[in-house]
Amino acid sequence: MARFIMTVDLRRCIGCQTCTVACRHANATPPDVQWRKVLDIETGEFPDVRRSFVPTGCMHCGDPPCMHVCPSTATYQRADGIVDINYDLCIGCGYCAVACPYQARYISHKREFAYGDKPTAQEAARFDARRMNVATKCTFCSDRVDVAKEKGLTPGVDPEVTPACVNSCIAGVLAFGDREDANSNVSQLLAENQFFRMHEELGTDPGMYYIFDKK
Amino acid sequence: MAAAKSVKKVPQYCYQCVAGPDLLTVKVEDGVATEVEPNFSACDVHPGAGKCCVKAYGIIQKTYSPNRLLAPMKRTNPKKGRHEDPGFVPISWDEAFDIIGAKMKEIRARGLTNEYGYPRAAASFGGGGIPTYYMGTFPAFLAAWGPVDFSYGSGQGVSCTHSEHLYGELWHRAFTVCPDTPSCNYVLSFGANVEASGGVVGAWRHGVARERGMKRVQFEPHLSVTGAASAEWVPIKPKTDAAFLFGLVHVLVREMPREKLDVPFLKQHTGSPYLIGPNGFYLRDPATRKPLLWDLKRNAAVPFDTPDTDPALDGAFTLDAIEVGADEETWTHRGLAAETAFGKLVERMRPYTPEWAEQTCDVRSGTVRRIAAEYVEQARVGATVEIDGETLPYRPVSIQFGRTVNNGWGAYECCWARTLMACLVGGLEVPGGTLGTTVRLNRPATTRQASVRINEDGFMFYPMNPTDKANWAAKPKVRNAHDTMVPLSASSPWSTALGPTHFSWMFQKESPDENWPKVTPPDIWFCYRTNPSISFWDTKELSKRIAEFPFIVAFAYNRDETNHMADVLLPECTDIESTQLIRVGGSKFIEQFWDHEGFALRQPAVAPAGATRDFTEIATELAVRAGLLEQYNEAINRGSACVRLSSDQYDFSLDPKQRHDAQTIWDRTCRAASAELTEGRESDGLDWFKEHGLRTRPISRLSWYLFPELRKKGIRFEMPFQERLYRVGVELGHRLHEQGIKWWDVQLEEYGGLPKVMDFPGIWEQETVRQAGAGALADYPFWLITSRSMQYAWGSNVGVPLMNEVSGNVRGSKGVLINRRRAQELGIEEGDIVEVSSYVGATRGPAMLAEGIRADTLLMMGQFDHWATPYAKDLHKPSMNSLIPMSMALTDSTGSSADIVRVGVKKLEAAS
Repeated sequence: MARFIMTVDLRRCIGCQTCTVACRHANATPPDVQWRKVLDIETGEFPDVRRSFVPTGCMHCGDPPCMHVCPSTATYQRADGIVDINYDLCIGCGYCAVACPYQARYISHKREFAYGDKPTAQEAARFDARRMNVATKCTFCSDRVDVAKEKGLTPGVDPEVTPACVNSCIAGVLAFGDREDANSNVSQLLAENQFFRMHEELGTDPGMYYIFDKK
Repeated sequence: MAAAKSVKKVPQYCYQCVAGPDLLTVKVEDGVATEVEPNFSACDVHPGAGKCCVKAYGIIQKTYSPNRLLAPMKRTNPKKGRHEDPGFVPISWDEAFDIIGAKMKEIRARGLTNEYGYPRAAASFGGGGIPTYYMGTFPAFLAAWGPVDFSYGSGQGVSCTHSEHLYGELWHRAFTVCPDTPSCNYVLSFGANVEASGGVVGAWRHGVARERGMKRVQFEPHLSVTGAASAEWVPIKPKTDAAFLFGLVHVLVREMPREKLDVPFLKQHTGSPYLIGPNGFYLRDPATRKPLLWDLKRNAAVPFDTPDTDPALDGAFTLDAIEVGADEETWTHRGLAAETAFGKLVERMRPYTPEWAEQTCDVRSGTVRRIAAEYVEQARVGATVEIDGETLPYRPVSIQFGRTVNNGWGAYECCWARTLMACLVGGLEVPGGTLGTTVRLNRPATTRQASVRINEDGFMFYPMNPTDKANWAAKPKVRNAHDTMVPLSASSPWSTALGPTHFSWMFQKESPDENWPKVTPPDIWFCYRTNPSISFWDTKELSKRIAEFPFIVAFAYNRDETNHMADVLLPECTDIESTQLIRVGGSKFIEQFWDHEGFALRQPAVAPAGATRDFTEIATELAVRAGLLEQYNEAINRGSACVRLSSDQYDFSLDPKQRHDAQTIWDRTCRAASAELTEGRESDGLDWFKEHGLRTRPISRLSWYLFPELRKKGIRFEMPFQERLYRVGVELGHRLHEQGIKWWDVQLEEYGGLPKVMDFPGIWEQETVRQAGAGALADYPFWLITSRSMQYAWGSNVGVPLMNEVSGNVRGSKGVLINRRRAQELGIEEGDIVEVSSYVGATRGPAMLAEGIRADTLLMMGQFDHWATPYAKDLHKPSMNSLIPMSMALTDSTGSSADIVRVGVKKLEAAS
């Protein structure tokens, strides 16, 4: 069975925010709801300082704590590893947002617009009432992944079935694919490079792999 | 049952910054633009895999902004000024054109130039030529008009990479300079913020290079995004980069064995072996007047172009020769002992030891030596590579500069040292090395190679503005006087904008001396995608100058601080509502190096909002109203709208006497573009481009490098000695002094055979003391600098909330970055509102504490301070532009200064 994951090459990321806005477009998220967020992190003391850019978001964990705490079974794990939310079941209790070690979840209680109190034509056209008062987060653009089979396309290779953030990345930081397929692009990257996963010690089996050097 | 949704993806280009164009598609659902995506069909030809940068995603919010102007407006309050309500009222397009048409006819009847010889019409556009790619055929209107003064700047040019533009073109046809990133292994980057300014292609190329192991050392006072992505950060003191570079040159020419350098390259492909006379000019053959070198084979002085020589690089030689100085002053020498240019260089570099550099730039001498050694080691002197059948040197090392390093005092010395460092290892304009990207001052501008021709001294010809007595422009043609004061600015269509564009504003307030032709405001000023009221220096004063303009036509997307003074506002269609064709490919700006060339289209993805009009339709109507339709059409036929409409292989010319709509004009343009790419075989027009978005053809990668062209033509790089600049400087001094002009004397000192490093930070310090008094340096103890934001740079997009949202994720974008320890000493905590002031003005914003910045430096990324632009005026971000003076003392000989100023900081309010 497939396990879709994302790799993040930290050597390449420059914090440009293109993935963030591409996600905002593709998923029509409201202002400040950034399913794909890039952290700008400084470590060390002057003059021995490092600054790093770290794309984050839902890790699509193999053992997702958000799913375990969900009282309504709205959060679920698909057979291909993607963790998704059934908005019809979600009661917006926020347990999942608290349980997520990656701060990946948002709940919008009020419609927010780019310019004041009225939606733009784009916002009006893309508004989805089902997303109000429920938890939302990165879906790995599951709607795209879902049509891959019928179209004979490969997620992570063909743009039409690849997450928007990956498609948009201007520095080749992000890659997407099937970890269970030894020949997939992500499996190849992980075979060739050193990587870590965020908060792996929590046993979440996160699905975002951070590459930092060659093997 | 609901009707099926109509969905289409419309190909576009984005040229919101000079690092474009990016190629993208706009998804349109039931007539509404909803998403921007890369144009995936372009990934095989675009050097950034067909991606588009963060700014492109802002164009949908921009299009649907409720703050847009949707109808022409006219001013009803004749008084102009920041605190005057313009009283704009909506009018019809007819009324707008009636008002402008009457004014244009009145001006043309009075004459195209005023009593002082300046054009009555002026126009200002945003930086880097960007607006050209959104203004349709307006360039044809300007060409039809006649003389137009483009010298009222908005900050571009003089605060851009100005010295690089001018000296880069002189030395290697390099309007901008960058590493040959795909094959470079070691880059010294002085303040270059390519990860923010290099666009998609820069980000992509450097990402790939880092992954394969390219090492970049970043020199800058604060840790930028590019510093973050570099292998090493060297927190150098502001404006001391030249000292570090001279330290490197010292190590290479005085401490390293000579064989570590590329001696054959220096001998055969540079001016290093030329012999120098006692008056500072080349020693020349009395018969031919050609510069001489010492041939070790013949043991004699011979003209530089003598075949089969082994030129001496070092040493003193005795010879007979003449020396030709400024204004043809000639000296005859007999039995003169003379040194080579290289020998002079070695001597000039004597004082610039790494220990000296350490004292100046606050970087350890050991670091200077280590980096010099790494640079030479990585250069792989002697290595070659074959490209398309031609064997070329392979030197995978490079040096690049960013703003402030690259303009104002000290920038010339940096550019010289950088170019010299490349020559010392044979790494200029060769694979892996330091490359130019494009030409804007030399002609023809079709390719860099096409602009190369030899001059009488064996270097590249350069179109200096004349400095000889017969031809010097004693009376400036435009208000910034670039043709009079800056020989290097040349006389291409870009030259005015590359002169001292702050002079127009300064001289309008006060002439530099009583004999100077009085600078009066233009009778009509067109402005588009530019906002000098907030984007240039000393913005408070500059706004007053704009308010003095009697008639302003602003092409306006929304209200802003500059069009606040306008008489008529003309609302144009946005990026995705109008049509234009753009050239893509070849090499151009920053890191744009393609293996293809061709054209891309911008087209209406959605219907124009309100009564906004396609810029081409506006330009055509203006041409009609000015009585210039025929000249306008002829300018389009000549290529003002992207491509020439006829050649000996095709003819899609417009009938000059007829009015043509925008669709016809762009259809003809597209046909000519198709024909140009196929040598006349194909003529697909606008419909074809609408469907496909772009059309390209492959080109040889040899076009990336200038060295093959120079080698073929027997031309040398003009390094290290600058006889030509020295001569021009002396002549310019003569001309100015003949007119009684002394206020340029300090700048004239910059012209010399070999540069010296001065106390460049001291120039700013001295001016601070001069303006603010003896204790000023204690009052203003910090250096204030800025840094590029990819989300905003060049974008004219401060009114787009999405950009504000995501730029907020980048450290420093919302306030004033200050060193954490220093802030604590001053009692400043994260988020406290601080006031930053210079002797010019003050600005305020939240303090942001960081380790990645020197203790003597503050950083403001944004250049905001808006007070009229909707949305942006409510962001309350600080801006350094309010704090920087327009100053003759801070202007270098090229006419540029820099975004740097001494400031003080104090806490106003605790963080809420």
